[in-house]
Amino acid sequence: MAIPHRTPSSTPSAEFPTRKTDDFSALRRLLLAPEQVQLDRLRERLENFSLQPQEVSHVLPDAIRLRAQQDNRLLASMIPITQEAFALSIKQSPQLISDAIAPILGPAIRKAVSRAMRGMLQSLNQTLEYGMSWQGLQWRWEAWKTGRPFAEVVLLHTLRFRVEQVFLIHKRTGLLLNHVMAEGVTGQGEEVISGMLTAIQDFVRDSFHQSQDEGLESLRIGELTVWVEQGPSAILASVIRGAPPVKLRDVLQGTVETIHAQYSEALRNFQGDAGPFLETRLSLEDCLQAQFVKKPGGLPVAVWVLVVACIGLIGWWAYQASLQHQQWTSFLNRIGAEPGIVITSVQEESGQTVFFGLRDPLAADPTNVLQEMGYPADAATFRLEPFIALTPEMLYKRALKILQPPETVTVSIDGSQVVLVGQATHAWISEVAQRSLAIPGITSVNMERLTDTALKRFETLRQVLEGQSLNFLPGQANIPVEESSKLEEVKRTLRQLEAAARELRLEPSVRVLGYSSPDGPEIINTRLSEIRAKEVLKVLQSLSLRAISLVAVGRGVDPSARDVGASRLGISNPRRVSFEVAPAPAPSDGRRE
Amino acid sequence: MVQKKICMLGGFAVGKTSLVRRFVSGIFSEKYLTTVGVKIDQRTVTAKGKELLLVLWDLYGDDDYQKVRASYLQGSSGYILVIDGTRKETIDVAIRLHEFTTATLGPIPFVLLLNKYDLEDEWAVDLPMVSDLGQKACLVSTVSAKTGEGVEAAFAALAEAMTSS
Repeated sequence: MAIPHRTPSSTPSAEFPTRKTDDFSALRRLLLAPEQVQLDRLRERLENFSLQPQEVSHVLPDAIRLRAQQDNRLLASMIPITQEAFALSIKQSPQLISDAIAPILGPAIRKAVSRAMRGMLQSLNQTLEYGMSWQGLQWRWEAWKTGRPFAEVVLLHTLRFRVEQVFLIHKRTGLLLNHVMAEGVTGQGEEVISGMLTAIQDFVRDSFHQSQDEGLESLRIGELTVWVEQGPSAILASVIRGAPPVKLRDVLQGTVETIHAQYSEALRNFQGDAGPFLETRLSLEDCLQAQFVKKPGGLPVAVWVLVVACIGLIGWWAYQASLQHQQWTSFLNRIGAEPGIVITSVQEESGQTVFFGLRDPLAADPTNVLQEMGYPADAATFRLEPFIALTPEMLYKRALKILQPPETVTVSIDGSQVVLVGQATHAWISEVAQRSLAIPGITSVNMERLTDTALKRFETLRQVLEGQSLNFLPGQANIPVEESSKLEEVKRTLRQLEAAARELRLEPSVRVLGYSSPDGPEIINTRLSEIRAKEVLKVLQSLSLRAISLVAVGRGVDPSARDVGASRLGISNPRRVSFEVAPAPAPSDGRRE
Repeated sequence: MVQKKICMLGGFAVGKTSLVRRFVSGIFSEKYLTTVGVKIDQRTVTAKGKELLLVLWDLYGDDDYQKVRASYLQGSSGYILVIDGTRKETIDVAIRLHEFTTATLGPIPFVLLLNKYDLEDEWAVDLPMVSDLGQKACLVSTVSAKTGEGVEAAFAALAEAMTSS
């Protein structure tokens, strides 16, 4: 209460002398000095009124508490300030906030991750366990028939129990405080269900005249059971599929008690805002428990199938490896027997089989051998260095390649000797010996049974020509008309003989031999024989046979004609011209072909 | 989001369920009304810029055979009192229910609705007849569950009143 302050009046000074006034003041000072000091201080404080921090600090905590109980205005005033302060604090010292919430966030994250992993492993186990079994196939059929997901069918058959939904409900209002669901469960109107559950509880409680503390503990319909745990201010309703164990009650009851302990104030002052109860989520999720039927001992069929499949795969791989080894072995045998190829080693390089060794350029292509045996051309790689093989087969191949024999000649190899049999042209034969000796590994050539076709023809023509003759009439040197056809024969033979001589590079001399009969004088006969020879020579010279030199020789009387017996027998006409061939080597300068 | 429990109260066949049906599309069958005596629906409304979840408890009509259960009223933040505008006798039921509710819960916001306003020819209630009750309500309005007239506004008014209190 404020105390009135009386200021000294100046009015008496007009009625009393000044001395008296001074005395009165002195008396007053003597009597009221301590109180006067206090009064002065109070006056000073009232004139300069303001609250001191020290004074406010004494009453502030109680003032806040009292005002918070009264209404929400203090709270509403503090919200924007607190938010701004919090935001500024995060901006300026994020580490400080991070350190402060780390102890809460860490366990919460670990718990959430652990729950997710547990769910995933459970799902994986079930898939493995039932995916390939006979039971699993039956359930797949059921899933297909009913149009439900396979996982759901497995769940229904293997589930002992599972808490699918948990409702945390405010008891007095029936309003939903929080709600969680198991994975894969579809929710619908949780707030309304929360209300109806409360209404049903009230209905039953009223109908059977039970106290407020009593309530439904369990509802059951089909495979679903609703267990209700009562707390003073909230109830926990758990929707469970299957047959839950009794110990689950302890978990649910423990959760209700924990929530009541942690949120007693919030539950008591609940006005419809479920925000403060968001953090109950982790506790409620702990109630989402499940238990599955364990299959009787033994390994699941899927595991057996996997084991058998693994063994089968290993067996198949071993069989394939063995088969491949056998095939490569037979290929090696085959390629080893191939003339002109020597395999020295086989290696695997980057999954590719590589053959190392030697190969004669005339040997077979190993890739072709590979393909002949049924391998693809790229099944192996060959790194073969070139070399010259001296085996009979390769000598034979090389002889054929170098000698290029005509079809009429057979080539064979006898040790280091080439044996040539057959007929060949003079040109080929003239070079074959030299070419044979150029073949590596060949030291001699056998041409004993090699016939020169040109020489043979020359000899034949020579014999033909020497068997031909032109007959003359008695005493005549002119070639009779009757002999013209024979003359043409002689000309043709001579032309052929010249061709053969050219091929053989010979320049034979053909002597035209004139004969006469023994009738008449010898000198005339000799002369007549010369004339007859020259007559024929003249005709033959017109042929211009450059490789053949023609000489006319009068032989006089044919000696055989002197033998009367022979003449009588008509063995030979004494009045004739015949021919004789004398081979002569061609000039070494090769002027003629 | 803040939730509020509100009750639909009124005599037998005054149109409470029809009003609720106008306001929400529920998931529960109305057979609950005659069995358990209550059907619950919900709807989100906006009041004073904030979303509010109204949990509507539609209580079975009060008549000689079934009385409103006090336990169903517990925790309500407001209620809607419905009178059938074509039947004067439902005013008395409404007055009795108001007294019962006030005795059970204390004074809480409510709106007084005169339903079936579409039946003009049969209309039998004048506003002065409900003036005493109307003075206590935060809104008195004629509505029609059939046409929907005034229904949204009535719920909105109650939501506003509950937010203010």
